[in-house]
Amino acid sequence: MHTLSDRAFTLSIWGAAALGAAAFLWLLGDLAWHGMAHLSWSFLVSEPLNAGRSGGIAPILVSTLLILAVALAAAIPLGLGAAIWLAEYTRRSGALGRSIRLSLDVLAGIPSIVFGLFGNAFFCVFLGLGFSILSGGLTLACMILPIFIRTSEAGLSAVSDDWRHNAAALGMTRASVLWHVLLPAAAPAVICGLMLGIGRATAETAALIFTSGYVDRMPESLSDSGRALAVHIYDLSMNVTGGDSAAYASALVLIVLIVFINTGALALSDRWLTRRITAT
Amino acid sequence: MKASRWFEQLAAVTILAGVAGVASASNDRLVLTGSSTVAPLVSEIGKRFEKQNPGIRVDVQTGGSSRGVADTRSGLVNIGMVSRALNSGEHDLVAHAIAMDGVGIILHRSNPVQTLTDEQVKAIYRGQITHWSEVGGKDVRITVVNKAEGRSTLELFLHHFALKNSEIKAQVVIGENQQGIKTVAGNPGAVGYVSIGTAEYEAARGTPIKLLPMAGVAATVDNIRDGRFPLSRPLNLVTKGAPTGLAKRFIEFARSGAVNDLVEAQFFVPLAR
Repeated sequence: MHTLSDRAFTLSIWGAAALGAAAFLWLLGDLAWHGMAHLSWSFLVSEPLNAGRSGGIAPILVSTLLILAVALAAAIPLGLGAAIWLAEYTRRSGALGRSIRLSLDVLAGIPSIVFGLFGNAFFCVFLGLGFSILSGGLTLACMILPIFIRTSEAGLSAVSDDWRHNAAALGMTRASVLWHVLLPAAAPAVICGLMLGIGRATAETAALIFTSGYVDRMPESLSDSGRALAVHIYDLSMNVTGGDSAAYASALVLIVLIVFINTGALALSDRWLTRRITAT
Repeated sequence: MKASRWFEQLAAVTILAGVAGVASASNDRLVLTGSSTVAPLVSEIGKRFEKQNPGIRVDVQTGGSSRGVADTRSGLVNIGMVSRALNSGEHDLVAHAIAMDGVGIILHRSNPVQTLTDEQVKAIYRGQITHWSEVGGKDVRITVVNKAEGRSTLELFLHHFALKNSEIKAQVVIGENQQGIKTVAGNPGAVGYVSIGTAEYEAARGTPIKLLPMAGVAATVDNIRDGRFPLSRPLNLVTKGAPTGLAKRFIEFARSGAVNDLVEAQFFVPLAR
């Protein structure tokens, strides 16, 4: 009897893991099957033609990366700052800290279209940025900040207080404790929050269609409108008749892009972790 | 979040100061917003216009016809895109048709129903007929696919059948045409209405859908061109008052025969000239 229930348990655990992997492989396989035929080097380096049915995605790829760069440039310093304040500069049970955490958690659950409408009203219209890569990037920054702040804060809070006490006993300044001890120790959580944010941002459609816009020309500056890859995929599959194969190929590119960025972020965090030991 | 939202806004303003309002609409840039149905076509027309007029930029944004109307009114954009005729409350705007489109009822290909009267369509959309067996089909529950509020196809459909959107009992509410086709193709009991050019192309490619005739007129692109099909609509560019300057030149170009091939490539019907 014992072995039977034990076996059933083991089996279901394996089953759950296999199902998760299978779902991902199926998705990837389906994308590769439909998208590979359309995918080529020239697809990556040429401009879209005939509403994206033919031609490539070069300007869209460039816009996507620029939007992401703007979003990260705004979100990383702000997010780290806010996380440090929450974890190190306020009492963990303080009323202000608690209410900020609560509002961050609420914000993290808000549908992206709401951020899109906010971004359109605030960045595009109120600040006069118009449909632009800048508006899109800043809207995404608003969107990924809550998750990024909360995961980074959790990482910092998880560092044992002994480290802080020891550092204080050694006469280290607060800034140098943060830079040399706490941040490196919290790096895996920070990177994890960053990856979640990047994943959410790169896959975003609703927040971008009304902020960075629909224009598929090669952007010349951050104030140009630029279509993001996810917006392009949505348009091709839902709005452009006969755009399916180009949509599949673009989705394949998007997935590969996300894998690349995540691997890069992981490698970065590994380097940061090893450097901690020898930091001066 | 209040504190960090403020930080955010502060950051935005500082970045702004650096970039310094390069974006604002100038003499060599046209901005259009509106119907997602019209956007790919105007985007292509814009590219050809840019090629013929070096230095000019035509930025096409989407968001639906209502947005096109609102943005043109508020002066946010030079030209709006509206995929229907302007209604009585929109006399402040001027419409410039660039192409025609028809809207047809689609069913799953396996559905044996060959035609529906206007009364039957109304009853199905009001939820009074719930099974295909009531209109000569199989004993399958009908899945009513309706368009989202603000879509011109919806307004056209409601107007033609004298329905109110609040009367409609829909199981699925969708946005774009392709989405409608995918929904019906994936559900043997579904009924929906979409742009005919798109549906014709998809049906020819083997997507399991079929177009129903209306009032005895087959839903084909040819019948829209002749003006015989009852449910058709103009695809319009709209301006606040008569267009001037660059907007005028662009609209003249978009209405000329020089873009016929682009209109057809997007599965719409060129204007009869």
